[in-house]
Amino acid sequence: MTAALALHNVRKHFDDVEVLKGISLTAHRGDVISLIGSSGSGKSTLLRCMNLLEIPDAGDIDLSGERINLRQSRGGKRVPANQKQIDRARARIGMVFQSFNLWDHMTLLENVMEAPVHVLKQTKRDAREKAQALLAKVGLPDAAHRYPAQLSGGQQQRVAIARALAIEPEILLFDEPTSALDPELASSVLLVIQELAEEGRTMLLATHEMGFAKEVSSEVVFLHQGKIEEQGAPEQVFDNPVSKRCHAFLQASR
Amino acid sequence: MFDLQGYGPSLLAGASMTIAVGLSAMVMACILGLVGAWAKLSASYTARATAAVYTTVIRGTPELILLLLLYYGVPTLVQDLASLAGYEIILNFNPFLAGAVTLGLIYGAFATEVFRGAFEAIPRGQTEAAQALGMSRFRVAVHITLPQAMRIALPGLGNVWMILIKATALVSIIQLDEVMRKAKIAAGATHQPFTFYLLASFIFLGITLISSLVQRQLEKKAHRGVGQA
Repeated sequence: MTAALALHNVRKHFDDVEVLKGISLTAHRGDVISLIGSSGSGKSTLLRCMNLLEIPDAGDIDLSGERINLRQSRGGKRVPANQKQIDRARARIGMVFQSFNLWDHMTLLENVMEAPVHVLKQTKRDAREKAQALLAKVGLPDAAHRYPAQLSGGQQQRVAIARALAIEPEILLFDEPTSALDPELASSVLLVIQELAEEGRTMLLATHEMGFAKEVSSEVVFLHQGKIEEQGAPEQVFDNPVSKRCHAFLQASR
Repeated sequence: MFDLQGYGPSLLAGASMTIAVGLSAMVMACILGLVGAWAKLSASYTARATAAVYTTVIRGTPELILLLLLYYGVPTLVQDLASLAGYEIILNFNPFLAGAVTLGLIYGAFATEVFRGAFEAIPRGQTEAAQALGMSRFRVAVHITLPQAMRIALPGLGNVWMILIKATALVSIIQLDEVMRKAKIAAGATHQPFTFYLLASFIFLGITLISSLVQRQLEKKAHRGVGQA
């Protein structure tokens, strides 16, 4: 079976700091993979490489078996060989950010409808119906005509999830989706994510919520200083980690 | 003392000319400002350097000199060059066009800085969210970046407009029949400079007052949902 997403030896550095030191990771359809590790371990950068918000310096990315074409620019930087391919790939991957990033000049309905209408070329009527249904799914059925600034952080993040779902993505990426939220608001967001996991969606999730990661994941990856230090089923990683560093990290985050 | 001696309609006609030349210049300034800001934030060194020269030179030179240079200087330069090449031509600029273009050019440099600041003030996450959904660069610029930049730029652009509309008085020097020139003619003919210059200043005050009201409405509209203004 072709993997939904496969990373081969991905490297990324910013200035002098090597953030990812050769990461290989495969997500099959229906996998829920949690990326854990301390801040600066490379979780976010890894997720951002998956939808090419960061272009890896080395290594390859396959989306459902399709290689993303990257080339060397004249300045020696790696750049997309074909921006259209990148845009197409991104439209198959939904991303949810730590800071929600809803477009504040648009209503919630417009936020959710934007990509379906302008990227997937759905008719406005179809997109509106689907957007309404998605807003209802994330627990905000009556908020269609409100603006992001009128919502709590937890509500904004749920709308951001609806916006990501609206492009009917094959893969969902969550970049610390609850780190900016207080525990009460976070739980409403986690509930939505859990529901998505139970639907069998392919998801990768960078998170500091260890209990949640253990519960929803099919696989857990512990990153340390840009490398995969421990990887396996949640029971194994959380209850019986091989790596001392992983053990210490889990002790500390209890 | 405040007898207009039949010059009232003439000044009103001047007022509409002032507004016409001001609006034309403002449209041009906004277009130049967007292009200039794009250039200043571009990855291309040539684009950045060109924009830097443009804003530095234009903002650092008096409006009056630039106006005279364009209206009187450029045609004579072209004629001299043509005669060197063996052609005899006579080139005259239309005062309206020369005025609107010069003011547009000058305030385009100020608008460039306003737009540059506005584009830079948009949080990175706003464009990243759009890119992450597969929106093309063009789509992101038109649907996400531009509307947000406009909202941030509005107060600054309002400021540019206020200064620009007052600077239209300078265009009287190249014989454009706007308020200032009409007032001067009336003042000279009637020997009532106080009356007519006062009237002219009230006309400008009227235009700027209405402008600030319009600006307030625009800002209100642009801030829908954002909860400020």
